[in-house]
Amino acid sequence: MNTTLHDSAPKPLFSRGPGLALNFFLLACLSITLMVMDSTGTRFAPARAWVAWALQPLMWVAQAPQAVAQLGDNFHTRDQLLAENRQLKQRQTELDGRLLKLESLEAENERIRALLSSAASLPDRVLISEVMATSQDPYRHQIVLNRGEQDGVYKGQALVDANGVMGQVIQVNPTTCVALLITDPDHGIPVEINRTGLQTIALGRGDGQGLSLPYLPGNADIKVGDLLVSSGLGGRFPAGYPVGRIFELRHPAGENFMEALAYPTAKLNQGRQALLVWSEHNTPPVDVSVPTARPEMKQKAQHPQERAADHAAPAAAPTPRAAGATGNASSPAPAGAAAATNKPAAKPAATPNTAAPTAPKPKPAAPAAPPPAPHP
Amino acid sequence: MNRRSSFPLFSLTVLLSVILQMVALPDAIAAFRPEWVALTLVYWAYSTADKPVLLVAWISGLALDVLFNSLLGQHALALVTISFLVRRLRGTLILFPMLQVALALALAWALYAFLMFWIDGLSHHSAVPSLRWLPVISTTLVFPLAALLMDRLRAQPKLRRLT
Repeated sequence: MNTTLHDSAPKPLFSRGPGLALNFFLLACLSITLMVMDSTGTRFAPARAWVAWALQPLMWVAQAPQAVAQLGDNFHTRDQLLAENRQLKQRQTELDGRLLKLESLEAENERIRALLSSAASLPDRVLISEVMATSQDPYRHQIVLNRGEQDGVYKGQALVDANGVMGQVIQVNPTTCVALLITDPDHGIPVEINRTGLQTIALGRGDGQGLSLPYLPGNADIKVGDLLVSSGLGGRFPAGYPVGRIFELRHPAGENFMEALAYPTAKLNQGRQALLVWSEHNTPPVDVSVPTARPEMKQKAQHPQERAADHAAPAAAPTPRAAGATGNASSPAPAGAAAATNKPAAKPAATPNTAAPTAPKPKPAAPAAPPPAPHP
Repeated sequence: MNRRSSFPLFSLTVLLSVILQMVALPDAIAAFRPEWVALTLVYWAYSTADKPVLLVAWISGLALDVLFNSLLGQHALALVTISFLVRRLRGTLILFPMLQVALALALAWALYAFLMFWIDGLSHHSAVPSLRWLPVISTTLVFPLAALLMDRLRAQPKLRRLT
């Protein structure tokens, strides 16, 4: 550094000297080491979390323009407010009415399930969170939420909004978390076609608005307008939430596989709230044989009901479904067949979506009509 | 260490550039966002000889990595590389008029975009490649304006003490 002696003297024109190249070399080596270590494990997760926490003020400042733009929302005329209030009240009454019916259906469903000795489909626990920031890289679809470790958020947690699945949490900081949206090219979500039960995987296309369903068999029964719902396979996403709607089918001549394109039903780049859904993670597994019976039940079976013990019997039968569905990219025919044959056993969680695909409550309601007993 | 070693204006502009990099823009123009941090660091590397640009580039790169959740060290490496190149070639660059320098620096932005693209590729983060090159254009266009503005700002007698 300069000393006061040099202060008055003109700065040297070429100040490179031996230090500059050496500095560059050291810093570059350090960066490369960090990258290699970061890509091979998660040992930097705590450090990242703390740096993110320290950088939060920057994030707040970066958000300020948005907050200012939304200042206009504070000014409404009285008439507007009254009209909105009236609308909301109407809506509330309407929903209350539906809810009444739902409660009785839920109770009925539980009784019938008890008769079938299978686990009840309990609503998932949810937590509402605010979107603090969205990723500004056009090729990285991530959002930052204002809930973190302190609220019990965990890595891999599913994120939904009122219209469908948004994504999953990929990094948890003490008071915030980062979620990857389903449109990110790194993201894949197991889905099923609600109309036919065909299992497949929806990958993000990376253009910010589309999902791609590659490697569908050429003769797959799939149409423009079909609704995709999460299938719950893999256990990360709760089953039965709407994911997307097909808008285009591509079947290039001479290709074995067909590709379908879908728009997400969730409003990924609108709105400032998102719901974090607790599914299977927080509760310890109760019975290893349950998950094979019905993947979506795996998440709910562990609630402190002691019923879990008494359905070890149906466990063995439907395993081909799970196996076929996870491997459906390479062997489409068995997957479709398996999904079709096991449909009665596997379907109930998806059924309510035909009835109310855009139900604003994110809790997957208990099935309206319980399926026929698959096992005598 | 003396009173001139803290460089408030330098640190402030770098901090501001990190914020600008994060401010939400409408979808239509978000892809054209200039690389503000790279631009700021290159400006200081080009117009001054005494600022610890490399170290600041590394630190702000790590901050960007955390903020954008990219591989730790990705932004840091790219920023350190271009600041080093510009600082190294400074003696040549300052002989030319600003507009020519701005054109020549397009190569620096392209190198930055390429490094990011390359590291993303190595870490299997696929993305739409066409969107990556738009910031090169916008940064090239914004650099002369930003540089002129900063030169004016630093010429103010009140601020001269701070730089």
